[in-house]
Amino acid sequence: MKPPEPITTTKDGRQRFRSDETKTLALNDPFAWLKRITVAGDACAWNRFVGGVLLALVVLLFLSGAFLAFYYSPVPGAAYDSVDFTLFSAPFGSILKGVHHYAWNLLLVLAIFHLARTFVAGAYRKPRQLTWISGVAILGLLPLFIITGDLLPWDQRGYWSTQVRMSIIASIPFAGDMAVRILQGGALTGIVALTRFYVLHILFLPCLLALLLAVHFYFVARHGFAERLNGKQAADHPIAFFPRVVNRWLVLFIVTVSLIALLTYYWPSPLGDPADPTDSTYVPKPEWWVLFLNQLVAIFKGKWAVLGTAVIPGLLTLFLVGLPYLDRSPGNRPAQRKTVIVAAALLAAVMIVLSLMGYFEHFGLPRQ
Amino acid sequence: MDKLNTKWSFALWILLVTALVPMFTPQGKADRLVITALRISEAPSGLDDPVWQRSRTTSIPVKGRGAFSDEAGVVETRALYTADELYFLFRWDDPTHSTTKQSWVYDGKKWHHQPGNEDRIALLFEITRIDHFATRGCAVTCHSPADLPREQWRLATRTASEKGDLWHWTAARSAPYNYADDAWLTVAGNPSGSYRETGRRKDWGEGGDVRNQTPDGTRPLYMPNPRIVPSVPGFLLFEEAAEITDYSIFSPGDVIPFRLPRKPSGSRFDVKAQSRYTEGGWTVMVHRRLDTGNEDDVMFLPTRNYSFAIAVFDDSGDDHSKATLPLTLEFER
Repeated sequence: MKPPEPITTTKDGRQRFRSDETKTLALNDPFAWLKRITVAGDACAWNRFVGGVLLALVVLLFLSGAFLAFYYSPVPGAAYDSVDFTLFSAPFGSILKGVHHYAWNLLLVLAIFHLARTFVAGAYRKPRQLTWISGVAILGLLPLFIITGDLLPWDQRGYWSTQVRMSIIASIPFAGDMAVRILQGGALTGIVALTRFYVLHILFLPCLLALLLAVHFYFVARHGFAERLNGKQAADHPIAFFPRVVNRWLVLFIVTVSLIALLTYYWPSPLGDPADPTDSTYVPKPEWWVLFLNQLVAIFKGKWAVLGTAVIPGLLTLFLVGLPYLDRSPGNRPAQRKTVIVAAALLAAVMIVLSLMGYFEHFGLPRQ
Repeated sequence: MDKLNTKWSFALWILLVTALVPMFTPQGKADRLVITALRISEAPSGLDDPVWQRSRTTSIPVKGRGAFSDEAGVVETRALYTADELYFLFRWDDPTHSTTKQSWVYDGKKWHHQPGNEDRIALLFEITRIDHFATRGCAVTCHSPADLPREQWRLATRTASEKGDLWHWTAARSAPYNYADDAWLTVAGNPSGSYRETGRRKDWGEGGDVRNQTPDGTRPLYMPNPRIVPSVPGFLLFEEAAEITDYSIFSPGDVIPFRLPRKPSGSRFDVKAQSRYTEGGWTVMVHRRLDTGNEDDVMFLPTRNYSFAIAVFDDSGDDHSKATLPLTLEFER
């Protein structure tokens, strides 16, 4: 079959074809269809691998999560036993549980880095506003995975962390109580809550993430890459999506899996004591990504608590989402966006200081 | 401008590397004592092996309960492990060296039991998860069966799926054979519908002791065999005892042990021990294979942590003891 001719070629060299011809080819010869897709040459630049690693991590989380689900039982008590079995009895269970544990940590770190890089590069500005907003939505979704996933092992840390999170959510005016009841299926964190968290974690949130990723990639493909941070223009020669970009993703996937597997071999994924809802002496320590929010809750108390639990996090989210429309700077380079850069730097500094305060409060050296 | 933007790029990379560090922040843990077993290549030869000095001593507080809640003490604990064996070294103060356990004494007319009992140390691990054991320790195994009043509670778990591994070193009965009696814990038995049994079950094999008494319980049945030199001075092993045929040979003040240790074997003999009483306290080393292959034993994996609890008994034959809160055993890798 003769491959169809392109009808247009974009500025960066990518070819466009008639949509009906593309569909026919995709069905008759998917490999030929894949080979025909071209992307900007920057897709394989050495300093543009963070997005690829993020994709590799998402795939890794889906695969390791599917494996863990084979053994998991979403019933209080049995949930702990099933995770314990996976960790210490199932073949390669410890490695896969560790991979799942470290992959989301790394995912969150790299997603924040990805966001920071995009911000510094000014890649949220026109015409890439929706690429940015879909990325922010993906980043906003990640904590929901963590919140729902933490409860699943039914250990002390997960159970009591959930209690803290639920009390914070409940303090949000008007919607807080209802949100907690919908999440937990009642006032207490029991079997209904565990089942709901499980279903959210393995079904609803992954579907939503897949949808948002598709939207994100659609806008990336549509609007292309931003300028490089060193000021040079993106490579203008197109490269084949398949096999070059796909191969690069595979290499990133293999490297990421190997590194995380090595990490989990030496530092296995933790599993605390079984949850004891009657043990109110247990004080969970906040995880690194939530330290600054935790400090906000600690600073604003009483009638001001809503500032720390809802107002400030809400404003921060609004700022991120609205950034493409708030920034009226004359150009994309950092030097041309001094106001936005300084505001973001101040915001980041406050978050880092709050996180450090939280770190020393919760993880500082014990008193002699 | 290029230089400026390269600096931005460099700063972002520094930020990324720094951001990876918090991934290793420790997880939240309950504030409880952790005993860390140090990995060694050669097994310690005994109580005084210098290798013990390499491990960290953890001072574990023990406290009495109920009527004995004013009693307290400390058990100094060290732990080591090799590729296939786990070792504990315990040292605790005990002002009375008690090893008689109700020995018989003859007053010229009748046989009586002496008042002394024995010193002991017991360890309880989970074979399968015991509900709330990790947070409340041994207390949860004293609350069964749940349908009985407190005074009738027995040492047992609440359900059959919850199983404990009980190591019981006793100064009068297991010390002579250098082991800690290995048992396991399950639900209380009620063979006659009255819960007369506790949940303690012996591991398979032989061991324990024989009560040295005639069927009517008025005098001893066995005495040291005059043709055998006692292998453990001060103790009468059942294997070295001879049945008494003539009670007229005894003089007033003669003492004969009441509990005769039996030669241990099988899974009951999994936990080996060495012990010494000096300077008003006991030093006891117990050790066991990490994996005995027996279903009635906890299997130790160096990659995981274990909840356990300890109780020490001073001259006691019942549940009069001082116990720890739940502890964590971790293996240094």
